[in-house]
Amino acid sequence: MRDWESDPAEQESGKGGQKELDEQVLGAGLCTGCGACVGLCPYQTVYHDRTVVLHACDLAQGRCYAACPRTPTDLAALRSRLYNETVCTPELGAVKGFFITRATDEGVRRRAQHGGTVTALMALALREGLIDTAILAGEGEGILPRSITVRDPEAAGMQGSSRFVVSPTVAEFNRVCLGNAAKIGVVATPCQALALAKMRTQPVSAAENGIEKLHLVVGLFCGWALSWQKLAALLKKKTDLARVTGMDIPPSCYHTLEVYTTGETIRISLDEVDPCVRESCRTCGDMTAEFSDLSVGSARLPEGWETARSWNQVIVRTERGMDLLELARRLGVLEFRATPPGNLEKLKAASLGKKRTAAIWLAGRGNTAERTGQAG
Amino acid sequence: MSMDREQKEGAEVLLMGNESIARGALEAGVRVAAGYPGTPSSEIIETLSRFSEAGKLYVEWSTNEKVAMEVAAAASFAGLRSLCVMKQNGVNVASDFLLHLTGSGTRGGMILVSCDDPGALSSVNEGESRHFARLMEIPLLEPADFWEAKEMTRWAFDLSEAIRNVVMVRSVTRMSHASGNVVLGPLPAVTAKAQFLCDGPVSDPDRGPVTSAPVIQKHRLQQEKLRKAAALFEDSPFNTYEGPETPELLIITSSACTLYSREAISLLRAEGRAGILKLGTTWPLPPALLKRHLRRTEKVLIVEEVLPFLEDQVKILAAEQAREIGIKTFYGKNDGTLPMVGELNPDLVAAAVGQILGIDPPAIPAEYREKLRALTAALPKREQTFCPGCPHRASFWGIREALQRDHRGGFVCGDIGCYAMASLFPAAGFHTAKTLHAMGSGTGIASGFGKLGPFGMEQPVLAVCGDSTFYHAAIPALINAVHQNADITFIALDNSGTAMTGFQSHPGLDVNAMGEASPKVDIAALCGAMGVPVTIGDPFDLIGTRVTLNRLLEEPGVKVLILKQSCALSPEKKVKKRFLVRVDEALCRGEACGCNRLCTRIFRCPGLLWNRERKKAEIDEVICAGCGFCAGICPAGAIRSEEAAK
Ligand SMILES: Cc1cc2nc3c(=O)[nH]c(=O)nc-3n(C[C@H](O)[C@H](O)[C@H](O)COP(=O)(O)OP(=O)(O)OC[C@H]3O[C@@H](n4cnc5c(N)ncnc54)[C@H](O)[C@@H]3O)c2cc1C
Ligand code: SF4
Ligand code: SF4
Ligand code: SF4
Ligand code: SF4
Repeated sequence: MRDWESDPAEQESGKGGQKELDEQVLGAGLCTGCGACVGLCPYQTVYHDRTVVLHACDLAQGRCYAACPRTPTDLAALRSRLYNETVCTPELGAVKGFFITRATDEGVRRRAQHGGTVTALMALALREGLIDTAILAGEGEGILPRSITVRDPEAAGMQGSSRFVVSPTVAEFNRVCLGNAAKIGVVATPCQALALAKMRTQPVSAAENGIEKLHLVVGLFCGWALSWQKLAALLKKKTDLARVTGMDIPPSCYHTLEVYTTGETIRISLDEVDPCVRESCRTCGDMTAEFSDLSVGSARLPEGWETARSWNQVIVRTERGMDLLELARRLGVLEFRATPPGNLEKLKAASLGKKRTAAIWLAGRGNTAERTGQAG
Repeated sequence: MSMDREQKEGAEVLLMGNESIARGALEAGVRVAAGYPGTPSSEIIETLSRFSEAGKLYVEWSTNEKVAMEVAAAASFAGLRSLCVMKQNGVNVASDFLLHLTGSGTRGGMILVSCDDPGALSSVNEGESRHFARLMEIPLLEPADFWEAKEMTRWAFDLSEAIRNVVMVRSVTRMSHASGNVVLGPLPAVTAKAQFLCDGPVSDPDRGPVTSAPVIQKHRLQQEKLRKAAALFEDSPFNTYEGPETPELLIITSSACTLYSREAISLLRAEGRAGILKLGTTWPLPPALLKRHLRRTEKVLIVEEVLPFLEDQVKILAAEQAREIGIKTFYGKNDGTLPMVGELNPDLVAAAVGQILGIDPPAIPAEYREKLRALTAALPKREQTFCPGCPHRASFWGIREALQRDHRGGFVCGDIGCYAMASLFPAAGFHTAKTLHAMGSGTGIASGFGKLGPFGMEQPVLAVCGDSTFYHAAIPALINAVHQNADITFIALDNSGTAMTGFQSHPGLDVNAMGEASPKVDIAALCGAMGVPVTIGDPFDLIGTRVTLNRLLEEPGVKVLILKQSCALSPEKKVKKRFLVRVDEALCRGEACGCNRLCTRIFRCPGLLWNRERKKAEIDEVICAGCGFCAGICPAGAIRSEEAAK
């Protein structure tokens, strides 16, 4: 992998501030929209799903550049500082355990994307005081997600389902940090989890730093996210945007994006969806949120997708992640079922596939990449 | 210093050039004066307004210069003496009417006063109004001192009545804004009744209808009038010669350049070698007078500012008279002896004269130069920016926030007013304003940009326009944008006054130039009547402005946003601060990552200071106007504002 997984020499030269961030990430169309550079200072903000520079900052080094998941990062060093190296795999990062789970509560499952594992775990973490604040992605205007902060486990239990447009989750974390939250849990896509991990390990001297308040990162598997503008334009051709209730991407053999509406389910071929994928996602080599405490994705089961869609696959990466999952098992918050043989290998293969595609994209972009400055 | 009604005839008073011109008009019995504010001309109408009185002297700030000239012409048609006043580019605005007016001719004496701004000290052009006199075939007078300013203006009315056409008096910044002693003359008791006699035949200049047709006939008549003026100029006291009988070098000059020429000669101690022909009647040039003086010498230097207007005319006359006066060597603009741009000064003229006569200009003594350097170094460095508390700074901050969010490369077409600063000094407008031309042109240009979508232009187009500029010239452009369905966001920066030139009244206010109550014309209602959506906002409400703008930028067609907040220098704001503002040092992040001096590095209200020793921002309580806006931009909440006690 290139660019943000770089050798130490490149890393030394890879220090920068807003100017470098703008040149290497924002201006290069590589921004993930994670929001890590937002809310630290007055210079960047998020508008719709786009991170924009409001005014020029001339600092040579800044937290924006340091935290950004798309600036050069020594991933190996990061991994060895945050994870037990003995469980690290080249394909999936740290794997302390691999499970098939779902929320026991049917209500949670109904509102969830798949098995509701994420929602159930966040509600549990709040209820048990492992965290006092959860940062989630809720429903925003139209198909735009909105970062939301919840302290009430009941309220957290009501949230669920995936938004395929990025949510500025880390910006919300930056904002909430400044308040009186003490233990924050975040549901994060791989890029957001990487930003949080970078913030934990390389804090640039700053007026204030709340990263020590980060107590839990539940990662989401992620193939890609879509550009809000392009997705909205595509959906407008198919249906009234106001009728859209949700979306999902079934296993790759289906090759479709399912769009749930107040009426029928619309199936859009991935060929049509592909142009809406954020440029930055094509260059992303992390499919399983390797820098989380545990990561959750959709399950693969022998019974097929109709059954699998209400289950999750979970990779536990840290002690803390394992404690949470075991607590959920003990309290009956999650149901478990046996992991089908070969599932982990399939996941590894898929993850490796994404790493390869990303490397090819990055190589293909080279330095002659089109610099449109447009996200996605 | 200003002249008032109490001062009696015979008193010697210190008058500004513009006051002197006003006094000349008063002594000529002017009854109607109209103008549009513009530096360096504004004090003429302001002075006259202090003498205004129903039935004796009517004074108005007109919507624009063309209207001002039309208003003054009507008085002339009705037999009254009238005056219209404008700055150089105002004559461009009025010129279409002027072309026709000079064709139709006038009745009561009518003067056009134009104040030019060589060097563009307060303009975005150094346009030359002198050329209009030639183009429109009317006489041109140029005062060179304060006495002349008054006397010439007074006489110009007589001349206008003698030739029955408009007479142009042209001043320049250094003439209009400098001051000197003037002896006041009597103010006549004028009683002529206004009546427009129009029932006679077209050919009757006193009783017929007033038009420029039949064109050929009237045009011929106009040229006869001009020849009559030239004849009167032959022995005008405003043309003088000083110097040796047969100078080595004859300087021909006029206006403020007369002073520079005199100083240059004395600087070079060349009194015995060079003479100055100072002309007050600069168009048409009196040929016999010129012949007399050209005969004196071989070498002629024409000293004037910007373009070679005099130079061209003198050369034409010299060519026509070559057989009698011989061949001359001319120095001036065309041969590069003097620059064709910017103001002149005694040093430039001395250098030119010195070069021709082979005299080295005296060197500036080293200690003087040292003193000057020390003095200028001690001056605080001040950048050109909006005043503390200025609503324009807040408006452009909101525009910047919206445009950066919108992210399609949107830009602002700027216009003339204080807010032109945003175009002239990019940092002052936070790099949003990208064009600047004539009054109202921002809207017209935007209207054009707003039709380029089908050519692939994706950038949102904005136009800003002050309230006075709106009435002056933006309305037709906005109507055009509406009718053509251009995609633009029009922002009226309504600060309730013609702030840049000193709060003259305009149609949006409920008082006129004479201080009388007058109906106001509402910008929002006017735009609404054009059938486009109008939103009214407060530039100090940053979030409101930004959210509204981002919404408008997404919508097609013409959208109007009126950002209303009175000027920081407006009388009601000047007396009292709305908020008491301070910086909480404990919270201020200063240069650290997390702020990097947003307030003093980017926002740059002069009320905010950066304390280098303490590395914290602070408020300069003397300069801060107490608008409170900066409290809303500090990322650390370090700028605290509390409502000031009533
Ligand atoms: C953009 C995106 C792409 C994904 N791609 C894949 C994939 O290729 N393969 C796969 O197996 N799984 C993918 N997932 C994960 C999957 O959709 C489910 O989120 C996951 O299986 C957990 O299901 P659940 O029922 O436990 O989630 P739920 O209980 O429904 O909880 C979903 C959680 O995700 C959070 N969330 C929703 N949208 C976002 C967002 N845009 N950014 C950050 N957080 C968000 C919500 O706050 C909520 O906490 C993707 C998710 C997203 C958001
Ligand atoms: S203040 Fe810091 S975080 Fe903000 S733009 Fe500057 S360097 Fe980046
Ligand atoms: S990827 Fe995240 S940190 Fe990097 S520029 Fe985009 S929003 Fe900012
Ligand atoms: S914006 Fe606020 S934090 Fe930043 S320097 Fe100014 S007062 Fe200090
Ligand atoms: S309150 Fe702030 S923005 Fe307003 S005048 Fe004072 S320093 Fe300037």
